[in-house]
Amino acid sequence: MPAVETIGPRPSGGLSAGGVAPRAADHFIAAVPTLWLAIFFLTPLGFTVVFSFGRSTFGGVELGFTLDNYATALSGFYGVTFVRTVIFAASASALCLAAAYPVAYFIARHTARRRTLAALLILIPYFSSFLIRVMALHMLMSRGGASEIVLNALHLHAGPLDILDTQTAVFIGMVYAYLPIAIVPLFVVLDRIPRPLIEASRDLGASRFKTFLFVTLPLSRPGIATAVLLTAVPMLGEMVIPKLLGGSRGVLMGQAIASQYLQSQNYPLGSAMAVLVLLAVAVIVLALARLTKGFDEVVA
Amino acid sequence: MTVDFRRRGILSRRSVLGLLGAAPATAALSAAFPGAFRAEAAGSGQLNVYSWPDYFSTGNLEAYAKKSGVTPNITTYDSNETLFAKLNSPAGAGFDIVIPSSSWIKQLADKGLLEEIDHSKLNLASLDQDLLNRDYDPGNKYSIPKDWGLLGVVYDPEAVGGEIETWEDFFKAGEKPGVSGKVRLSDTGWETIGPELWLQGKDWNTATPDEIKAAGERLKAFAKHVKSFSGLDPNQVANGSIVLAQTNNGTARAAIGLNPKLKWVVPGPFSELWVDNYAIVKNAPNLDQAYDFLAYQLQPEVQLEETQYIGFPAALAGLKEKLPADTKNVDIIFGGKDLDFKKLTSFVVNPETVGTYLQVQAEIQAAAGG
Amino acid sequence: MSAEGARICDWRSRIPDAALLIWYGIAVFFLFAPIVAAIVYSFNTGVVNKQTATWTGWTLHWYPAAWYDLSLRRSVEQSFVVAFWTALVSVVVGAALGYAMVRHPAVAIRRLLAGLTYILLIVPESVIGVSLLLFYAVTRIPLSTATLVAGITPLTIAVVALIMRARVLTLDRRIEEAAADLGSSRLTTIRLIILPQVAPALLAGAVMAYTFAFDNLVVSAFLTTPQVNTLPVYLYGSLQYGPSPAVYAAASAVFVFTLVMLGIAGLIYRSSRRPPAADA
Repeated sequence: MPAVETIGPRPSGGLSAGGVAPRAADHFIAAVPTLWLAIFFLTPLGFTVVFSFGRSTFGGVELGFTLDNYATALSGFYGVTFVRTVIFAASASALCLAAAYPVAYFIARHTARRRTLAALLILIPYFSSFLIRVMALHMLMSRGGASEIVLNALHLHAGPLDILDTQTAVFIGMVYAYLPIAIVPLFVVLDRIPRPLIEASRDLGASRFKTFLFVTLPLSRPGIATAVLLTAVPMLGEMVIPKLLGGSRGVLMGQAIASQYLQSQNYPLGSAMAVLVLLAVAVIVLALARLTKGFDEVVA
Repeated sequence: MTVDFRRRGILSRRSVLGLLGAAPATAALSAAFPGAFRAEAAGSGQLNVYSWPDYFSTGNLEAYAKKSGVTPNITTYDSNETLFAKLNSPAGAGFDIVIPSSSWIKQLADKGLLEEIDHSKLNLASLDQDLLNRDYDPGNKYSIPKDWGLLGVVYDPEAVGGEIETWEDFFKAGEKPGVSGKVRLSDTGWETIGPELWLQGKDWNTATPDEIKAAGERLKAFAKHVKSFSGLDPNQVANGSIVLAQTNNGTARAAIGLNPKLKWVVPGPFSELWVDNYAIVKNAPNLDQAYDFLAYQLQPEVQLEETQYIGFPAALAGLKEKLPADTKNVDIIFGGKDLDFKKLTSFVVNPETVGTYLQVQAEIQAAAGG
Repeated sequence: MSAEGARICDWRSRIPDAALLIWYGIAVFFLFAPIVAAIVYSFNTGVVNKQTATWTGWTLHWYPAAWYDLSLRRSVEQSFVVAFWTALVSVVVGAALGYAMVRHPAVAIRRLLAGLTYILLIVPESVIGVSLLLFYAVTRIPLSTATLVAGITPLTIAVVALIMRARVLTLDRRIEEAAADLGSSRLTTIRLIILPQVAPALLAGAVMAYTFAFDNLVVSAFLTTPQVNTLPVYLYGSLQYGPSPAVYAAASAVFVFTLVMLGIAGLIYRSSRRPPAADA
């Protein structure tokens, strides 16, 4: 374990005392992923941007230049839908983080062997099919299902359980799906907080709670930012859980974009909506990065 | 942190570990199913079918494989729209037979995605004449009916407090206390707005976007009583968390099988008949095999078996009498007693209006709140 | 914590610990409940061949039924193949990306790569799916397993790259510099110094990529073909008319199989890490 003063490498990755100039190997290593992604990701995305300025021919695109699609995408209904989706993703993400933080904290406090077991228990369910788990969740939450029986037996609830097809059920499903994804970055950062810091705080007289609030929590900020990035952003495009557990009430961006492509066969409109969502998310992510001074960096 | 410079071979160890999970799996699987991963040459004893899941009786498929030596390779989709998008793209190359619903046949044909069916190669005499030569494909140029179903309503008569006979009854019932908040509507624009259009004496295939939007207003006001637009789970109707549902007869039959107190009705003045059809893809690589398979599927015994497997009636004439006497709730398979085919209409997707239906449906679902 | 403090606040200080343990227990229970339920319900009889929420009877016949359902079985096989290749490609490309993001000497390039990685994370899957479909339509590349793998890789590469980056950030740079001072080329340094240290992280990345690819629904729905259909696409389609317990049986079997494989891999990994005393 490195000493407290030199946590990790020096923050600036630039020319260090070793004085290394870019060499062929460096360029090669950087080029491989760039080339792969340029072909299989950036180019298709480029097509999408181009199509967003075209005209729809029901399953085809007539190339041209028109801003009509953007006008429609920014119009009242879709604008409201976007805002609603952001609020949804933000709340679901917050809930997920609130549930994940204590778990990550718990795992991080243990020593190697117990910690591996603890982490494994959290990750094992992740290796089964996501859809089957959501379908099973649906079964469990339905009337006459296991949850009702258990809750009635524990006297926490009386009578039939009617949470399926409600916003509550959707949030339960979202937290369920994204919990492991939120736990991992939180754990990684909490793990790297040096024990001596905590001990120093306690020795100086701070209570456990105060130590947590003023030492642990701020130091885990990059982890929180990463967890938010990895949960809230995919949540913006979530379609399956609101449909399976929420009765498809309310419309979210993921569904709206997909249905432009699949049902209306209106590729240009779908593309315009997608580009707008991308831009909005990029702005939010940049703001988040600014606020927390980068993701996943332990501030020395 | 010390690093052991003498630790050679870490690469081979790592790659072994990385492969460990999948290589034995892949090897075991290829040993168990020789040919599963070999790219098969087109046109030599193959048949590629693109269909709804679980839509062919496994017994029939096995029998066909034995008889012809060819096992149909079935890939699945979850909606007609996906089917259209796929066929309209390079992902559709290589399919021989697809199973589109009646609503999309015209669009698929117009885009040149379907082969015209050579009727001299097939015997359609055994099929119910009511199902042939319908609006969605006059003369059955591109499609042969496989099975059919109806849009109707399944409900709990006690909770609803009476019988439902028209779509007006349906809407009124949905507003009642005890029913409100426990209603299920379809997630397809024309299926939700259609009923209101019919009540207004209009035709859902010829309505203008303005008429569609006007009809949609009633649905938007009704939306607050709706609990779900998602695929209906028969359990939900059976256990009472939904008491009034717009759905197909297959799901209704499953629900009534769980709770015999429920009732099924095909409301007036009109309702939907949808037909799932066999269609041959343009430039199908295994055309002869496709016709051979279709001829097999059209045999009466095969159609009977299909009906019992998938729960929807095949297009065979006189099917009802041929089913075993102990088939549960057999009437519902056929849409209920005294079904009047003249009061049934099939939807045909029209590029001019489908966008409007979609938009209004999105607004209806949004109005239902979240 | 001082010894005195420990004695005085003994039981009080235990409360947060107990609370954390209870919360952890609830989380584990919450995460396991659905998969356990899915396994249990794979033995449910259901009604008219469809799954039901209430138990209707105990039967084993869904397992052979799933086996004999050729399209279901084939989709499982395809999922294995696709997941394997996606994991392989993702680890190679993602490791390069993650490493370069930290160690490339030019700041501008590092920023560019980081930006690229973050874009990978924020593009909705449906957009990737459609873009690729349109891309292949325009370039007339025939679809196959390879194109599906290529379609899933952008997402999995991002995951591996982030894991790799996090790990490389904690490496001690001075060792690499020492090696460079001693005349080692970049590639040799990577092979002998970096790789052994990041191996566990790469393994974790491979497992995550594999899991993600196996479970991928949206991109796969766009890119599946007659030859290539995956389990999640099959499952999603079965929801339209109601799934039969056979799909639960198939999913449970795959889950158990995956766990067994991971267990074996884990055991072998552990035994390989324990070098005989003479070697150390």
